[in-house]
Amino acid sequence: MTRTGFAIKKWTPSTALKVFLCLFWLVAIILPLASMLSTMASVDVLGVMQTRKFSKALSQSLAVSLTATLISVCLAGLLSWAVVRTRIRHKTIFNTLLTVPMLIPSISHGMGLIIILGANGWLSKIMGLQAGIYGFWGIVIGSVMYSFPVAYLMLYDVLRYEDGTPYEAAEVMGLSAKDKLFAITLPYLRKPLISVVFATFTMIITDYGVPLMVGGKYMTLPVMMYQDVIGMLDFGKGSVIGMILLVPALIACILDMINRDKGNASFVGKPYGIKNNVLRDNVARLCCMVVILLVFLPIGSFAVLGFVKKYPIDMTLSLENIAQTVNMGAMRYLRNSLVIAVTVSLLGTALAVVNAYMTARNKTKLSYVLHLMSITSLAIPGLVLGLSYVMFFKSTPIYGTFAMLFLVNSMHFFSSPYLMAYNTFGKINENLEDVGATMGISRWKVVRDVLLPQSVGTIMEMMSYFFVNCMMTISAVSFLANVGNKPIALMITQFEGQMQLECAAFVSLIILTVNVAMKYVVFVIKRAIAK
Amino acid sequence: MEKITVEHLSKAFGQAGVLKDVSFSVNDGEFLSILGPSGCGKTTILRILIGLETADAGRIVMDGRDITSAPSAQRRMGIVFQNYALFENMTVLKNVTYALLNSATSKKQYSKAEAAAKAKEMLELVGLSEHLDKKPRQLSGGQQQRVAIARTLALKPDVILFDEPMSALDVDTRLTLRTELKELQKRFGTTMIYITHDQEEAFAMSDRIMVMDSGLIHQLDTPQNIIDHPADDYVERFVIKNINTKINSLIQFARVSKAGVEAEDAK
Repeated sequence: MTRTGFAIKKWTPSTALKVFLCLFWLVAIILPLASMLSTMASVDVLGVMQTRKFSKALSQSLAVSLTATLISVCLAGLLSWAVVRTRIRHKTIFNTLLTVPMLIPSISHGMGLIIILGANGWLSKIMGLQAGIYGFWGIVIGSVMYSFPVAYLMLYDVLRYEDGTPYEAAEVMGLSAKDKLFAITLPYLRKPLISVVFATFTMIITDYGVPLMVGGKYMTLPVMMYQDVIGMLDFGKGSVIGMILLVPALIACILDMINRDKGNASFVGKPYGIKNNVLRDNVARLCCMVVILLVFLPIGSFAVLGFVKKYPIDMTLSLENIAQTVNMGAMRYLRNSLVIAVTVSLLGTALAVVNAYMTARNKTKLSYVLHLMSITSLAIPGLVLGLSYVMFFKSTPIYGTFAMLFLVNSMHFFSSPYLMAYNTFGKINENLEDVGATMGISRWKVVRDVLLPQSVGTIMEMMSYFFVNCMMTISAVSFLANVGNKPIALMITQFEGQMQLECAAFVSLIILTVNVAMKYVVFVIKRAIAK
Repeated sequence: MEKITVEHLSKAFGQAGVLKDVSFSVNDGEFLSILGPSGCGKTTILRILIGLETADAGRIVMDGRDITSAPSAQRRMGIVFQNYALFENMTVLKNVTYALLNSATSKKQYSKAEAAAKAKEMLELVGLSEHLDKKPRQLSGGQQQRVAIARTLALKPDVILFDEPMSALDVDTRLTLRTELKELQKRFGTTMIYITHDQEEAFAMSDRIMVMDSGLIHQLDTPQNIIDHPADDYVERFVIKNINTKINSLIQFARVSKAGVEAEDAK
């Protein structure tokens, strides 16, 4: 049947709103980015790129990112298979535990790794590793721990929604397991897998938390950018690195767009039928348990570390680190973080809902432009966005205020919640507003009374996404925060610089606790709604 | 008496002309089916009639009043969609009550209690009094379509438009709903315009049928006249041959069944 609203020829309120939103995106994303890139006009770009330090950082970034991506995606593939394609029990618990690493900053993973495998790490001592795991392998392991839950969740969704009908047809035709793998599974996985690989690669190559903590002398591009901007205030050089970091993110974004459209068009006829196989289930269960153990080793270690006197010299139980962390303003910074996280989860969600409504349920040519602008932030790494904001907003009154952090975090984390709302709104009956219009019920009333109540679960997930990410981000905010509005996650980088791992561990624990609490609240609300 | 008169209606999406200078009229209390294949422009006519789409050219007159530019809600029309468009977060009863309490045409007529009573009455009429407190997803497709019909009827529109309302339903449900719909029409005397691509459905229910293809009307007449005097080759091919094929299939099926029964008896 024909959809509403092709080209709207007159100036309607919805057109006005769309134009306003496009202008907003122009100011919030496009112009700041242009501002950063224009800085390069006064920089000897080739000169910067030809320095030995730069080329070394670039090649090292590529080396660790490629290795970590390969391991991360393979691990995620194995685990998603173990959870989705077997008959193991307690899948929800496995799923929850495997995604816990998504609730702490990347730098905390690096820190956890140092506690275990650093020069004084307890596992290093057991294994006799005197030098510790700094450098290439440290970054690789830390990056895998930080990125695999994201890759896992993506592949989990891909496998969960695979149509089981072709497998039934293959069964009838007598195809072997190998034939099914090559004829059905791999062709189905090909496109989503490309998306997962690029998303994971982008996540790793743009992260500075893990390399800052465990990189040692092994310099990567984001660490170089962070040090150039924060340490030497060299914005020009930072911009050049920022531009390089934009490339993989941009490719990932484009691939995601292509594959997402394809994904929406697919239709699951019948869920995949899982046969009984005790051996397979035991192997899958073992895989999950081993990975969960490995994931919780560093988390458990820094949970303990927060409560010991001086690691590893004096391991007696003590609250000194906590007192010291509190004395250094942890509670004030926690309050800042909570203010930022709550405000961004409310404002960001509201903005994402309005945007998604205008693109998914009020389709015009302008909607497509708005949709593209809404997913732009997917292609901008946090560090690059932060630097762009410094360049663009430094002479404006909101620079240095909480409003600046609200805005940058809303934009930084916007795309994923926006796509959640876009997909949910797109799946709700397309004729609701039309029925309302014929009855004389306003569009706004239909949205308020019918559309939003049907989307409460998604809205809760969106708020939770903004909240959790605001609590743990150390990228964009690191260039924009000051003493007055500093979020608590930035205390970790501060403690790292002062070699106070115990305090950094306690801060990580605070963030983890707040995020777990938030996830639990969302879980309880969603369960109540489902009932 | 003419209820609706459509004059020289045209509509194009981009370069493609979906409706090409279409004119017709619908009589008061009539059941008119618009029959044609996918993409022939029948849904576009429906959406223009109810004001969800604007025509590029042409005029729509209802009860002597030009409603070409009137907002949807002021046209005294209701619509039933193929996908029901029910409010999934509300119960069956609330779906109808909500419409009564919020619709521009009825919201000041009813208190909450009166609206609920009226909604119950309409749902009883479509055989759903047992399901008032269920959510739409707990109902079958046919039951959901009945809720949509009850919700539309409750607002007492002068004309009800149906956009392929039975396409998603099984054969048995379609047959039952056809009869019920005709009975409801007789009872309320409402003018109904029914979009379908199913010849059998159109011939079973309609007072008149409008056969369309590629944005043009090929014939508008009673079912009997269309069978006796098809206007052109297209009508002959799309309508008559299709119906004949279906009838022949049924005869063939009956023969095979009869032969089977006789063979069983002979044993």
